[in-house]
Amino acid sequence: MKSLRTGALLLSPLLFVLLAAFVVPLLLLVPTSFQEYRPGEGIATDVWTLQNFVRIGADEFYREVVLRTIGLGIAVTLSCLLLGYPVAYLIVRGNPRWRLPLTLLVIFPLMLNLVVRSFGWIVLLTNRGVVNNLLIDIGLIDRPLRLMFNMTGLMIGLTHIYLPFMVLMLVAALQNVPRDVESAAATLGSSRFHIFRAVTLPLTAPGIISGSILVFVLTISALVTPRMLGGPTYQVMATLIYDEFMLLLDWPSGSALSFALAIATIFIIWISSRMTKRWAGLA
Amino acid sequence: MIKKSLLAAATASLALASAPGVAAADELVLGSFGGSFADNVTACYIEPFKAATGADVILKLGSSSQHAAAVRATAGQSDMDVVFADDAFAVQMANEGLLVQLDRSKLSNAPEIIDGAWGAEDAYVAAMLGATTIIYNKDTVTTPPTSWNDLFDPKYEGRVTIGDISGTTGWQFLAALNQMEGGTLDDITPGIEKVKPLVKSSVLLYSQADQVVALFERGEIDIAVWYPDRAGVAAKNGLPLAAAYPAEGAVGIRPTISIPKGTAQEDLAHKFIDTVLDADNQKCFSEVQFIGSVNKNVTLSDEVSAIVPTGEALDKMLFLDPNDMAKRLPEWTRRWQREVLR
Repeated sequence: MKSLRTGALLLSPLLFVLLAAFVVPLLLLVPTSFQEYRPGEGIATDVWTLQNFVRIGADEFYREVVLRTIGLGIAVTLSCLLLGYPVAYLIVRGNPRWRLPLTLLVIFPLMLNLVVRSFGWIVLLTNRGVVNNLLIDIGLIDRPLRLMFNMTGLMIGLTHIYLPFMVLMLVAALQNVPRDVESAAATLGSSRFHIFRAVTLPLTAPGIISGSILVFVLTISALVTPRMLGGPTYQVMATLIYDEFMLLLDWPSGSALSFALAIATIFIIWISSRMTKRWAGLA
Repeated sequence: MIKKSLLAAATASLALASAPGVAAADELVLGSFGGSFADNVTACYIEPFKAATGADVILKLGSSSQHAAAVRATAGQSDMDVVFADDAFAVQMANEGLLVQLDRSKLSNAPEIIDGAWGAEDAYVAAMLGATTIIYNKDTVTTPPTSWNDLFDPKYEGRVTIGDISGTTGWQFLAALNQMEGGTLDDITPGIEKVKPLVKSSVLLYSQADQVVALFERGEIDIAVWYPDRAGVAAKNGLPLAAAYPAEGAVGIRPTISIPKGTAQEDLAHKFIDTVLDADNQKCFSEVQFIGSVNKNVTLSDEVSAIVPTGEALDKMLFLDPNDMAKRLPEWTRRWQREVLR
């Protein structure tokens, strides 16, 4: 009984912050999302409508942005996983002398401000940027490649920014894999690839799940990088919500989109964690 | 003991959360646009105001729509005492009942202000007169453009930029094209159809005015739909830019100044607006910002007169009713996102 109370007390600061700064404001948006916005007049509080939610599915433009956002989330998560796993493996299983420099190298980008990192990518990717100039100078292309204001730019920028999260999660997971189990498999005649596939990979599943969920959620809710690398025209859900609130002043529509994003996120996390758990034999 | 201090901390954070940025008695919070605009506001308006009243001014930078969103979010208890916003957004705030009616008896300079500057029921007053027009590089464009149609000339393909609809030049240019093509405010389709090829040939759709400076500097463009005031500042800094006013008429911009409801310092706010409307300060601002004045007693230098619309260009200027625009902009934006950008 006492430990329960201590637990509750230990939790309460975090719980308070979450309730006051996250849950309550979210609940305050619920009525707004069912109201109607009349341009030039304001938010009509006397009418209740489902229109804001219906539009997300019915309007071709919104639908495209929703699908693009989810697609971007999946693509960035997969590329972080593919790029991050070898790095994490090298950190844990490689020469111990490399461990510290490699870890620092992974963490280092996190010490830079997000805006600075995104701006760095603009300098590299713009029409007359470093990458395009280099490719033109060595004669590989004639006209600059369009690397910004599209999926390519967002993929590159977001993968770079969220890769450290994935690597750190995978490092923790790999460190928890007992070498004995792998040795046992080797003794029983497994090839190295088979050991990796049948033993190491499933045992790191919890790290893969948590890393993927973290990267996915951060990606689909990212605002600064998509706005900077996508410009005003290439929209994802976060920038669309920002525009509805701050540009069109249509708060009801913005609130409805926020809920749609939150619900989609929760649903996808639930599905993916169930699927991965089953694959790892944890369910 | 620990419990007490925890409680105190929680109460303090709650108090902070419920009273965002309450200003002290001798502080005025001013919502302003950023960049050179803020520097010039500081030099021409804030300094004289500080000298006269001894009050301090805190700047809060943002765009018109961001200011409008902030005033609505804090409805009735705004953290800003005076706010700059384009007229369409000032009207939106006024219609939502978020603005204090200006008291002309507290504004000694009110009689010197042109009639067109005042909003309905004095909810706001225009603080300057700007424009959306054609800006070109004098070195590469030898014959000055005379029509919006000149922007569509194939020789400028990939050498032109226009603004995204989120900025003032974006929707104003769309409105001007629409009128040129025979559309009305209720039927924007001709404008949407007309602008499509230009959006494709545009180097980028700028969302911040100063992006265009970089494009001219790097020689990426020859011509742009932009603000003559920004062009004037850039020209003063050495770029070979000039403004051309199309025969169909450039579009007028009226950045306004207003007082959000809930300010504890209405009198001080009025004093600040009076400082802004003062002829000397208006002249100071117009000269450094290259923008038209709303005070009848201001005469501008030749350098500034060459850039701001005067004479015939001013007569032809298209002024859009901010009330109409506030109602239609969301619809225009939606159509722009769906039909022009895709």
